[in-house]
Amino acid sequence: MNRIGFVVNPYAGMGGAVGLKGTDGCIEEARSLGAEPLSPSRAVRFLAGLNRQGFFFLTAAGSMGADELKEAGITSYEIVYSPSSPDTAADDTKAACELMIREGVRLIVFCGGDGTARDVFSVTGKDIPILGIPAGVKIYSGVFATTPDAGAWVLNRLDEASLTEAEVVDVDEEQYRAGVLTTRLFGIATMPYISGLCQSCKEVSFGDETRMQDDIARFITGIMRDDTLYLLGAGSTTRVIATRLGLTSTLLGVDAIYQGKMVGTDLNEEAILELLEQHDSTRIILSPIGAQGFVLGRGNQQISSRVLKKTGTNALIVVATPAKLQHTPVLYIDTGDPDMNRDFGESLLVICGYEMAQRVRLS
Amino acid sequence: MMYMRTKIILDENEIPKKWYNIQADFKTPLAPPMHPQTGKPIGPADLEIIFPKELIRQEMCQDRYVDIPQEVRDILTLWRPSPLFRAHNLERILKTPAKIYYKYEGVSPPGSHKPNTAIAQTYYNMKEGIERIATETGAGQWGSSLAFATQLFGIECKVYMVRGSYDQKPYRKMMMQVWGAECVSSPSPDTNSGRAILAKDPDTPGSLGIAISEAVEDAATHDNTNYALGSVLNHVCLHQTIIGQEAQKQLAMDEATADIVIGSAGGGSNFAGIAFPFVKDNIDKKTETEIIAVEPSACPSLTKGLYAYDFGDVAGLTPMMKMFTLGHDFIPPSIHAGGLRYHGMAPLVSKLHADNLITATSVHQNRVFEAAVTFARAEGIIPAPEAAHAIRVVIDKALECKQTGEEKTILFNNTGHGHFDLSSYEAYFAGTLPDYEYPAELIAESLKKLPTVA
Repeated sequence: MNRIGFVVNPYAGMGGAVGLKGTDGCIEEARSLGAEPLSPSRAVRFLAGLNRQGFFFLTAAGSMGADELKEAGITSYEIVYSPSSPDTAADDTKAACELMIREGVRLIVFCGGDGTARDVFSVTGKDIPILGIPAGVKIYSGVFATTPDAGAWVLNRLDEASLTEAEVVDVDEEQYRAGVLTTRLFGIATMPYISGLCQSCKEVSFGDETRMQDDIARFITGIMRDDTLYLLGAGSTTRVIATRLGLTSTLLGVDAIYQGKMVGTDLNEEAILELLEQHDSTRIILSPIGAQGFVLGRGNQQISSRVLKKTGTNALIVVATPAKLQHTPVLYIDTGDPDMNRDFGESLLVICGYEMAQRVRLS
Repeated sequence: MMYMRTKIILDENEIPKKWYNIQADFKTPLAPPMHPQTGKPIGPADLEIIFPKELIRQEMCQDRYVDIPQEVRDILTLWRPSPLFRAHNLERILKTPAKIYYKYEGVSPPGSHKPNTAIAQTYYNMKEGIERIATETGAGQWGSSLAFATQLFGIECKVYMVRGSYDQKPYRKMMMQVWGAECVSSPSPDTNSGRAILAKDPDTPGSLGIAISEAVEDAATHDNTNYALGSVLNHVCLHQTIIGQEAQKQLAMDEATADIVIGSAGGGSNFAGIAFPFVKDNIDKKTETEIIAVEPSACPSLTKGLYAYDFGDVAGLTPMMKMFTLGHDFIPPSIHAGGLRYHGMAPLVSKLHADNLITATSVHQNRVFEAAVTFARAEGIIPAPEAAHAIRVVIDKALECKQTGEEKTILFNNTGHGHFDLSSYEAYFAGTLPDYEYPAELIAESLKKLPTVA
């Protein structure tokens, strides 16, 4: 029997319908504007798609999980946490997750948005896999299934699943409401994924995430030239490239490598522009945010349109494992400059192995 | 109303009596294969350890035509001459003025063009007293064809099947069993090269290059065992020319001449089979047929590779051949056209491309399956993904004709059915097929090195 943690942020998504761009710290305002909870119905939809056998849920009381399980007709669950007030908050999500981990869950499924992902991840770290059911206003993190049904599909095949890494993105909601999207990578979580829709396919499995990251790193380090500056974006795949060169990179920032040596770490836009002054040739190695597919403009705004004007848009080398691409069907680029966005064309070539790439549509 | 023939059928006694050898019509000779150790041109003796003498003679033969033994022709009658179809329904659906013909090789017992050479190769091995043949197979078309051929001649057969396909394509493996062959997953513990790769990487999905290394080693280290290759080599291309020769006769029966000839290209043999007789007519200035090789974007040796000497396998056991290659260590991604996953291109096809006697193009696999489905819905036959590469370009060319109003005659080689590839179709319908592409520009930047010949 799979012991699964299940937690719902019942207020996630409320702000979106009434134009609040997020619900952090403004539940009352959302309510007064007539917002209805969105998250419970998404959670029920996810639960309704599950095979009834084989799962035992550890959850929180009321609308944080138990109500949704009951509504979906699921009886095999136990309440491990009860919030002190019906107006639940981030601390309730975190406390529930802590107790679930203590009870030995294999995976925590949460229903909410980026804020909920951040709360859950702050407790699980990379140790316990998580899977998000999207119900928030902002869904930029890679830990989410694309729909509640897709989430159920993954859970139903949990025993065939491998683990992959996915980004948790932190969005500053206050700024977001003011029209400024400021994101940073909050962390790299672990999530389950299923390789291939049909097990009988002729398609060869290329093995696990680590193997594919190594293949990508072997290829990229093999093509690096001594006359070129390499800006290395955030993420675990780009980190493996640095590791292969014997370097330690900033997991959540932008670093610079020249002639096999680290010449800048956790760079901001100004520092990058300064470095570009000193080099004629630059390549920018980035990995998209899983599932959501942002290559530029989310979590790496230091690689700005000013930077890209200097390097040229063809300086971009995008890397991602096949597993990540499997649940990232479309890529996005948002440099803040629509003309520059168009320069990238209709698709991007994404390096996904040794001498191997995939052509992925750019929205 | 004019009679519109759909199937153009030749009588059994019209199976060609000779194979056409394009080497005789080259203006300059084909660059010789080189010895992997010495880097010097190899002689017949170097190859005798793994090939029968007659196939070595054919490999180096300069005669324009080579007789097909009567015993081989007798077996070919099981399915040859293969039909030439006029794709009336496809033309109608595309609303094109182009006339589309296709040679259908899926009528052979193993369901592809591969037995055309498997029968011939096994025959010559049998004549020279060989009792066992080792080979490799990727998606399984070649392995099943050789299994079919060897059991007809009472020869043992061992097939090293790329592990990914072995695990995921059980039906091809079972066909080999039915025809009495032993099929093992490659890399296997049965050979030094297999053991070395397994020790380094126990989870490798394998590759065609690795499987070739194993089969060559098996042949070289076992008594009375030879090796057989299903593509790439000159004699394999030679045996396939039966396809194009029949097609020329059949087109003439319909009073048509091809303006465009299209074949998919992995190792190059089916393309050689349909194209070489038409290339000859171009060389002889009788025609100006446009001849197009279609390869996957994931493994584009002709369109993105270098024309250089390279090994035919991963371990570097085979002679080095001058060919368009992506490098012998290139392991192509897992596209669904497993038969097109080879790092190099037949030296004969490569030379035609280098001499500008053919053109080449590459296509992504989602557009390939889109074309395959269009074709299947129009013509009924569900094509193998390999064959569907050609179909993609046929449809593109037919749609160009629709734009220009030209009534061009297009011929292509439909190399086999896709009945064992339906899970690939399932993946296409589910929208989960990645469009793999060889990152040629980045690799060019790296100034990647191929083996050099002294």
